[in-house]
This record gives sequence, structure tokens and C-alpha cells, in this order.
Amino acid sequence: MTENSLDKEQQIVNHLVGTFQNLTGKVKRNRRIEVSIEKKQITSVLNYVKDHLGFIHFSHMSCVDWLEDGYFELVYILWSPEQKIQLLVKALVDRENASVENADMIWRQLNTYQREIREMFGVNFIGMKGDKEFILEDWDNMPPMRRDFNTVDYIQEVYFERPGREDAQNVRETISKRTGEEIPEVATKYSRD
Amino acid sequence: MREKATTLYLGPQHPGITGNMMIKLKVEGDTVVKAQTHVGYLHRGFEKLMERRNWLQSFTIVCRICVPEPDPNELNYSRAVEEIEGREVPERAEWIRTLMMELSRLASYLLWFGGQNGSAGLYTMPQWSVGDRDYILDLFEELTGGRVYHMYIWPGGVRRDLPNGFTDRVLQTMDYLEKRLKQYDQLMFENTIFQRRAQGIGWIDPAKAVEWGVVGPPLRAAGFKSDVRIDDPYLIYDQLDFEVPTQQGSDVWARALVRRTEFQQSINMVRQIIDKMPGGPVYNKIPNPMKWTIPAGDAYVKAESARGEFGYYVVSDGSNKPRRVHVKGPAYVHGVTLLENILEGANISDVSFIMNSLGTCPPEIER
Repeated sequence: MTENSLDKEQQIVNHLVGTFQNLTGKVKRNRRIEVSIEKKQITSVLNYVKDHLGFIHFSHMSCVDWLEDGYFELVYILWSPEQKIQLLVKALVDRENASVENADMIWRQLNTYQREIREMFGVNFIGMKGDKEFILEDWDNMPPMRRDFNTVDYIQEVYFERPGREDAQNVRETISKRTGEEIPEVATKYSRD
Repeated sequence: MREKATTLYLGPQHPGITGNMMIKLKVEGDTVVKAQTHVGYLHRGFEKLMERRNWLQSFTIVCRICVPEPDPNELNYSRAVEEIEGREVPERAEWIRTLMMELSRLASYLLWFGGQNGSAGLYTMPQWSVGDRDYILDLFEELTGGRVYHMYIWPGGVRRDLPNGFTDRVLQTMDYLEKRLKQYDQLMFENTIFQRRAQGIGWIDPAKAVEWGVVGPPLRAAGFKSDVRIDDPYLIYDQLDFEVPTQQGSDVWARALVRRTEFQQSINMVRQIIDKMPGGPVYNKIPNPMKWTIPAGDAYVKAESARGEFGYYVVSDGSNKPRRVHVKGPAYVHGVTLLENILEGANISDVSFIMNSLGTCPPEIER
């Protein structure tokens, strides 16, 4: 790939860096750009790239929990049908009382993504209409996609074994007892149990 | 006089769609005044499960996310891992992956032919097309060992090379499907009942289609020449000769015509792939899967599934497990905001029909 072939991508990054304070960006590869912004800039950057730079197609929105560092990373993935370039807009949000501005007035479908992220990660979108549940109903536990939500603990707490199934607690051991076969070392070493 | 509004709960079981999803309809007489998608019947926590499994164990999960079309999941997961890791894929593996994707598209369209007609009360077509889909599943079974879930496209290439005589059997199946397509035309596209049911129904405003996030056949039926295979080429699609069909009607009929043309295109593509496929290895071996770590990084990859852009956002923190795998299927938009919008004003009897035309697939709305 020649340097020239990345001109278009670099121009967009330079333009955005020149337009918004505290915005950093890079060209990841051909047709792939990534910018990092502050959380208060989310709506203004999304509006700007949609109206002025041709990123009119909203592909995806994701949330990544960086538990050890104490923040969520919100990622907005956009596509420019004209320039055939994909733009990732990333913003960090503190895990404690996580909240950002609602952006579903820019792309209507963003509402669905925000509803899911609100339920699964506990990020509050200020000004988002509708407080109805999306997937989880009557959930009063920690948002389940957070890294510190322990699925195994939750299951053991909430669910119980059906009577008569006690011998099937450990499938490998049960089969081993019945058949007399030895459990291979690799199976116990790498078991998730 | 206005009729009294009543609430109708449609679903969670539907004729013709895979998975469970309810639509709460507010109706006046036969007309839908307001529609609200209600999901929550299918959430299996795949994305959370993958955070506890290593990179190769997660690969066995992804195909289960979408029943009608598992292969784009395998492909996207593998491509995302390869992009973050910088792993090369042998050329022949890329060709075989493309073959899988097109066979998967054909199988998915055959299921759609059945669903679309079934939801209109035309029950001969589902018998035919689901039966014909089994011929493609036979090919998958021979190649991968699995009929529906294949676990065949994995990071580094594909699991094994094509068996002896496999390409001949693929070509025979393509000849058969091409002949059948003429019969499908008579049964479906030349059928006045289907035409009158489909024309003018489920209209999507072309001026808002891109902004609303419409993708795949519904977007092409609104006049946009949009296809990930052309716009952001992956695998070896840039070496194949094919057209992106479009229509202007933006209704159920236009979407059906787009899919009909693409079905023929996929048959042609499968023939081209078999004709041009090079030799060589099919797998770039990964290290010991239990100790396999991927460098920190992230990637969003997308593929054109039979229902539109299918995306995967994968994040690695440098460990032997994914930090985050976030799946975006086309139904995430089509089945919620878009469906809620275009159902307003529709007749109750058209609701399932419109859902099918959008390729609504609840398992990818809640993974």
C-alpha cells in the first residue's frame, strides 16, 4: 500500500483534529479511521461527521468494560457510503455513575443500542426518551454485561438442581464412575468447572 | 366513526421467522396504529459466555448466534481475530470461505422463499424450497460434518480441504437449483396472489433508508447500489464477476425481486469460484489454543449476509480470552426501529409478511 492511498483517510483525521479540541485520531489502515474524543463531545462530533463529512450510515455502537481501569469505552462505528471509509469514534466514561448525552436524535436506530447498553452495562443516557426495558424484565441485580457480574454465582444463587439430578453435578466424574474410565489429565487441567 | 383501538400481541411464535419475538400491536379495526417490538425470549448470553472462554472455544459458539445463516458469524469472528493478530490466511482458504458464504446465502434465501410465501398463506413454496435447501445442507454436512452449524471457517483459514469430487457435487446442485428457479418463478413471481399481496406493501421511504440504517436487500430494493462485497471488498469478491441488483419500488415485491436476482447471481458466483479456485494449503496453523493470546487491539469487520451487513466488533486485551465480542446483525435495526415504523398503517394480515420481507431474525437482536 502506498502512502498516497491513505491520503483521503489522513485528510479526514487532520480535519477532525483541527476542528475539535482534545480529539486525537489515527488511520488504522486503508479505509479505517479511529478517533478518540471526550464524552461531552459525543453528540457534536457525531453530528459533525454526519452532516459535513458524509458518514451518514450508522453501523454499530458498542460498549467495552475496562473494569481494572475504572471506565467504560463507548464505540460508535460509522460508514461513509460515498468515500467508502469506516470511522470509529471512541469515548471513555467513568464506571461510577456512568452517564452520557443521548444521541438518538442523530440516528433513530441508536435508541435500540442505547437501551441495550443501559440495561447490560448500566450506562445512563441523559435525555433518552422511554424508560421501558429492552431485553431484561424485572431485573434488580447488577447490569449483567459488566465484568464484575459473576454469571456462575448468579446461577447458583437463583437456580436450583431438579431433585434426582444430584449425581449429574460433574458430568465427567459421573461418567468416569459408571464406566471406570480414567479422566484424562488435560480435561481436568483446562476444565472451566 | 373511529373504531375502538385494541391491543393485539403477535408472537412470540411466528410463521416463517426463525426465533421468538413479540410485536405489540395497537389496532383500529384491521389497521395497525402503533407497533412495538418486544424481545427478551431468546437471550442466551453468548457475548458474556465468550468472555470466559479462550479464543478457540469462543469460535465454537459464534455460529449458534444465527440459525438461518451461521456462516457470516464464523467468518466475521475469524476475520476480526486475524485482523487484530495480523494472521495471514492462505489464498485457497479465502476461495473456500467465499464458496461457503455463497452456499450459505443460497440456503438462507431458500429458507426465506419458504418463509415469505408461508406468511402469505401459500404453502407449496415452503415445502419445495425447504426441501431444496436440504441439498445444500447435504453439501455442508459432507464438507464440515454439520448440517446447520458448521464450525468450519476458523481463524487462520478453514478446518479442512474440500473432499474428493465435492466440487462436482456442488455444480450438480447448482444445475438443479437453476432449473428449480424457473419453477419458483411460476409458483411465486408469476403468481397473481403473491404479486397482489406484495406490491405496495411495507414501503420504506428511500429518502430515509440509509439514515435509518437499512441494509442488504431492503436497501437495494429502495434503489441503492449498496453491498459490502462491492463497497468494502473482503475475501476474493473483487475477483468475481457479479452485479448488485437494485429495484425502485421499496416494497415487499421489490425486495423479493432483488433476492430472486441475487439467488441467480450466487449460483453464477459458485460456478466462478469452482472454476478459478487455486490449489495450496487451507490453514495457517494457530499456536496451542489453550495458550494462544491475541495482541491488544480491536476490529470491526462486516460481511454481506443474505439479510444485509453483518458486523462483529471484537476487542482483545492481550490475554487468551476475548475482552468483548459484540455482534450486530441486520435484524437489530430491521426488526426494531424500522419494523415499528413501517408497520404503522399496515393491515394486520400483512404484519408477518412485512417482517419476513425485512429478514427479521430475533436470535441476532438478542444474542
